[in-house]
Amino acid sequence: MHLPSFTLCSTLDNLPATAETLLRHAGGTKVWLLEGAMGAGKTTVIRALCARLGVLDNVTSPTFSLVHEYAMVSGEAVYHFDFYRTCREEEALDLDCMTYFESGSYCFVEWPNKVANLIPPAHCKVRLAVQPDGSRIFYFQLDEDNPLAYKERLTT
Amino acid sequence: MQGNNSVILAIETSCDETAAAVVCGGKIVSNVVATQAVHAQYGGIVPELAARAHQQRLIPVVEQAMKKANVTLSRLNAVAFTQGPGLLGALLVGISFAKAVAFSLDIPLIAVHHMRAHILSNFIEAPYPTFPLLGLNVSGGHTQLIFAKDHMCMEVIGETQDDAIGEAFDKIGKLMGLSYPGGALIDRYAQQGDPHRFQFPATNMPHLNFSFSGIKTAFLRLLDEYQSKDVQFLAKHRNDLCASIQATLIGMLLDKLKKAVSQTGIKTIAIAGGVAANSGLRSRLQHLARQEGWAVFIPQLAYCTDNAAMIAITAHYQYLSGDFCDLKVTARSRMPL
Repeated sequence: MHLPSFTLCSTLDNLPATAETLLRHAGGTKVWLLEGAMGAGKTTVIRALCARLGVLDNVTSPTFSLVHEYAMVSGEAVYHFDFYRTCREEEALDLDCMTYFESGSYCFVEWPNKVANLIPPAHCKVRLAVQPDGSRIFYFQLDEDNPLAYKERLTT
Repeated sequence: MQGNNSVILAIETSCDETAAAVVCGGKIVSNVVATQAVHAQYGGIVPELAARAHQQRLIPVVEQAMKKANVTLSRLNAVAFTQGPGLLGALLVGISFAKAVAFSLDIPLIAVHHMRAHILSNFIEAPYPTFPLLGLNVSGGHTQLIFAKDHMCMEVIGETQDDAIGEAFDKIGKLMGLSYPGGALIDRYAQQGDPHRFQFPATNMPHLNFSFSGIKTAFLRLLDEYQSKDVQFLAKHRNDLCASIQATLIGMLLDKLKKAVSQTGIKTIAIAGGVAANSGLRSRLQHLARQEGWAVFIPQLAYCTDNAAMIAITAHYQYLSGDFCDLKVTARSRMPL
């Protein structure tokens, strides 16, 4: 039995289709961790995911402001975190990030390793690796303890 | 109780800084930003970020601002706060405090837009710009071109679609192994380097919008490429790299500013935000001012970074026009101008 994880290669031009694929495999998982070196394109991928979800707001980097809130056409909120500047997990707790993670709204998280202990089990992970030709490899993974991942395993 | 003699207390808690200021008849009489001295005075470790820190700092900061201004609460004609944009939890601390003051003293409450206040930081000290003007907000969190018809009527005409310019500086600094935030260090090394030594593909966005995310990746790729051939590359060329990337980033900013000037015909330029401290930006703006006949205004640095004096001066103009809010007002993390 293998977890729904896969690897795909994409250029940034092909992002809308890639975003659709990622969302399909996430199967409704709301907390997304985006990993990758600086300049790998985490914010750019989140912009594509948000566009696919019907977010109309301008999706910009929350490095300075820590969290951005966007609205989907349905009015539902989407949260975009960036823990790049975070030094200690207590700072993220002060931000009340747990409430956001448990809100049932989409939460896209950049630099999640800074707050590793605060990430809920039900999440999926996208790791971006830049290739010499400038394209990106996407490593997608639903977490082992993710109840949604388990459900997906049963149904596929 | 004349408008031009009004005494207003202003609170700013939209992001990292806890700040309070008092404006009296349009003149800033005190401006306090939480510093280590305030922390030391009240003890305890204060986390850098978020609401709890603001809660701990706000009362001492307000007390200092009132004391420096030599006014008592009973003298206040109004109380102002930053409504947004910013961190929701952080904003709520300032709002709750301001509401409590307004309610207990029965004085008007003034909700201030943080970005409008940044532009109006140019009205804290003479010489003042004239309207209409083009505002350029450049900081770690924002990169915006603003058309301002007057003190109150402003419109964003261009903005970054991804990273802010200050963020690009800081992150490129990090890629070069400089401590974060590294923008100021890049500026310092740039002054000893050749700005034409390396070329980076400037991203040209449609209209008056900016994008600083691609250039960060381009910088990284150039660094990787050269560093793989020569591990000493970065060490040998640090100053030229800094000068070249700074020239490119500033060039991208100024290209859009020139475009905005030619589209609007407005030649009065008001700069705001922490990146206004950048010496490359300052010298090239001065050059453009002479060459193009622009009138360029840059506030002193204490008024460029987040501060409450700019909230206070904005509140002063809102007071004059009777722009008050009621106690039901709430914080807005995303807030259009």
